[in-house]
Amino acid sequence: MYSRIIIKNANIFDGIKTKPFKGDLYIKDGMVEDIDENIDIGDSKAIRRIDASGMMVMPGMVDMHVHLRDPGFEEKETIESGAASALAGGITTMLCMPNTRPVLDEPALLQYVIERGRNTGVRIYPAAAMTRGLEGREMTSMGLLAEAGAAGFSDDGMAVADARLMFEIMRYSRQWKKPLILHEEEYGFSRSGLVHEGRYSDSLGLEGISRLSDDLMIGRDIMLARESGARIHITHLSTKGSVQMIKRAKDEGVDISCDVTAHHLFFDDSCLKSFNTSFKVKPPIRSAEDRQALIEGVIDGTIDAVISDHAPHLDTEKNTTFSLAQFGTIGLETLFAASYTSLCRGKGLQPGKLVSLLTSGPAKLLGFDAGTLEKGKRADAVMVDTGGSYKVRKEDIVSKSRNSAFIGQELQGRIIYTISNGKIMYESG
Amino acid sequence: MIEKAIIMNEADLDRVIKRISHEILEHNRGSRDLAVIGLQKRGVPLGERIAANIGFFEGRQVSFGKLDISFYRDDYGSRIKAEIGRTEIDFDVTDKNVILVDDVLYTGRTIRAALDAIMDLGRPRSIQLVVLIDRGHRELPIRADYVGKNLPTSKNEMVSVRLRETDGQDSVLLVEGNDYVK
Amino acid sequence: MTMLSKKSLLNIADLSPEEVMQVMETADSFAHISRREIKKVPTLMGKTVVNLFFEPSTRTRTSFEVAAKRLSADMINFTASSSSLAKGESIMDTVRTILAMQVDLLVVRHSHSGAVKMVDDMIDIPVINAGDGKHQHPTQALLDLFTIKGRFGRLKGLKIAIAGDFLNSRVARSDIMLFEQMGMEVRLVAPSMLLPEDYSCYRVENSLEDVIEDTDILYMLRMQFERQDRKLYPSVEEYRRFLSLDSSRIRRMKKGAAVMHPGPVNRGIEITDEVMGDMKSPYDNVIIEDQVTSGVAVRMALLYHILG
Repeated sequence: MYSRIIIKNANIFDGIKTKPFKGDLYIKDGMVEDIDENIDIGDSKAIRRIDASGMMVMPGMVDMHVHLRDPGFEEKETIESGAASALAGGITTMLCMPNTRPVLDEPALLQYVIERGRNTGVRIYPAAAMTRGLEGREMTSMGLLAEAGAAGFSDDGMAVADARLMFEIMRYSRQWKKPLILHEEEYGFSRSGLVHEGRYSDSLGLEGISRLSDDLMIGRDIMLARESGARIHITHLSTKGSVQMIKRAKDEGVDISCDVTAHHLFFDDSCLKSFNTSFKVKPPIRSAEDRQALIEGVIDGTIDAVISDHAPHLDTEKNTTFSLAQFGTIGLETLFAASYTSLCRGKGLQPGKLVSLLTSGPAKLLGFDAGTLEKGKRADAVMVDTGGSYKVRKEDIVSKSRNSAFIGQELQGRIIYTISNGKIMYESG
Repeated sequence: MIEKAIIMNEADLDRVIKRISHEILEHNRGSRDLAVIGLQKRGVPLGERIAANIGFFEGRQVSFGKLDISFYRDDYGSRIKAEIGRTEIDFDVTDKNVILVDDVLYTGRTIRAALDAIMDLGRPRSIQLVVLIDRGHRELPIRADYVGKNLPTSKNEMVSVRLRETDGQDSVLLVEGNDYVK
Repeated sequence: MTMLSKKSLLNIADLSPEEVMQVMETADSFAHISRREIKKVPTLMGKTVVNLFFEPSTRTRTSFEVAAKRLSADMINFTASSSSLAKGESIMDTVRTILAMQVDLLVVRHSHSGAVKMVDDMIDIPVINAGDGKHQHPTQALLDLFTIKGRFGRLKGLKIAIAGDFLNSRVARSDIMLFEQMGMEVRLVAPSMLLPEDYSCYRVENSLEDVIEDTDILYMLRMQFERQDRKLYPSVEEYRRFLSLDSSRIRRMKKGAAVMHPGPVNRGIEITDEVMGDMKSPYDNVIIEDQVTSGVAVRMALLYHILG
């Protein structure tokens, strides 16, 4: 393995400045040794040379919403296989959700994930559950969990229906200075729903989930956050209303941030025509109007990060009727390409802006020392080919599960190299 | 307060105290097994002087203690509460001849309370009472063993005892009035 | 010196600082009496005091009983179970029956805030509040103050940290009022769910670590994990880690600092077994027994000032 790598002639996005820098990146012993126009380090055979002409080089991405199905559902994904999938997607840091089996609601379980994640090449930080067993009834020992390494708290997959309990969790979270990552769903509206409540759910005869499911809870939690002073993060936005509410809350000084998935930026509910269960996700993929609002939210800065919400499921769980299929799509490997294609190619967003939403943005939200390319810092880097396009094929998928909403799509932004801690951990074939 | 007569001046008081101190020693044939207890509040300095005298005459210190009887009174609610002073008796009264010292003997109720209080502390061999002034009008069968001066008074009069240690001067006066303030 | 200006003692705020100091001084004299062979004085002979406890309590009830008896008063214990007295009328009937026996003072404890005042409003004889719901426990505050004064010799400027379930504690409420009135610096140590929604009027820290090294007094409150309404605090383990007094923490306290608790102590929760010891704590900072001794003296002083 080379301890020294030089990447030449790249379009370097450092995650700090929006504009790229054309030049070389020199990595030595796990660190970024230099970023400069023309770095000359001689001809030693001990140095790996990479010609990055026409390529984009950016910091290793930070995906702040991933489901690794380990412990409990290892047949769908393990910590190791999830890490491999992440590296194939250019992701070198991730926050994994606690809805495993058992749920990550005790310090020992967090330690398990942290230990298992240690030598995978990806920095894996677990979020701890807010309520025991994600049952939404009793608060977890948040202090002990914070000390055991929880990067944040979330009941993702579930919402906390009891407003008083949510309020107390918010109040208590301030003592531990960790963000609460909130999955917003009002069960009265979402209980038996499958897709977005709209023209397509109507014509396709599929039970809909109203926008009110998201918006009601978001409205509630903004109010609770305002009263409690808590630091909250609303994850996987899906409605136009949510973007508006969060924008207003930010203006009023509420300590709030939010993210959106690559698939919510890429698709709208017209994709449901095919009854392809790959598009069955929660929150549902909504109308073109909602999609547009989300894109605008990214462009105007209301939305702080783009995530994958990588949710592996077995073929048997997805290859069935729409009603019976599990919710979720994998997304680590397509995170960059999908968001780049829909935002930078489709809607003219500056690539540098997208880069920060995938790197330094989420890193800052979670307080991670990651997501930038800076001299003297850890060398996590990705080289991306934004020139041509490629088709997403089932057989190319690295993850243990194959339920990708992007299969068959033509995407731009293929990951060529992923470097983690100065080592090349992924090389495209 | 209207002063009616000066009963004792500083020199008188001094002589009386010396005389009583000698009487105590004579009656008890020395100071062995004696203990002096002064009743709060003016019985205390009086008792201290007597104890000092006895100690001086006999060449040996005698035990001295202070007694507060607020919790033993039988007249709560009927008069203004005096300050609760301290009971400080650091010796055992059992088997001692206790010399109880107070300034004025009147109805005898204060002394009755003092006897109860002392009995709760132990079993003295005897209790002998010293008072500076006996003004009569007993309501209980109590009498003093050593008296400074017998002074017949009417109920409209008061005996005002002032002592150096508590009031800055030594004197005993007969005054008009019957506020029952000691 | 006068009697207490109000005959009943329902709320610690009923006493002025001067009256508090009076009670302190009298309690001092009674403390001396309690150390003698004969611990009795005849002061309240012929008076009858009734313990009317709608909520069970052994410590407080017994403390009042000993106090009354040492003053030679007669003491009657009336313990009614709260559940059978859910309606206000039954409290009235109970009180009427007792009054018909010509008693002189009621000591009342009830599990509902304000219930003792209700009793006081019904009758003419004095009432001492021995604890009403989550509201007040004035005699506890007084005995705590007396204990502190006895140990430190002064009150003003002393730093006291009150730790634990503040929200549900009548002891804490009375203590804070009294301590601040007497010039002490009070801080609370509690997590958000054991504090009222708006706690801006208090100085609050979240963990014992924040106060352990500079506080003069650490006052631990009783913690109840199961409450009828809800289980708010996450776990015993969490409590032990951040709010429990163990040997490593007590060793870091200032020299001469004191540890207090209204009792009974939940061993292993508020204070570890190691710190409590068997019959006595191995640490002389722990002065919980002194509080109990003070309790009798202070209650004697109160009975004396109200009935004497």
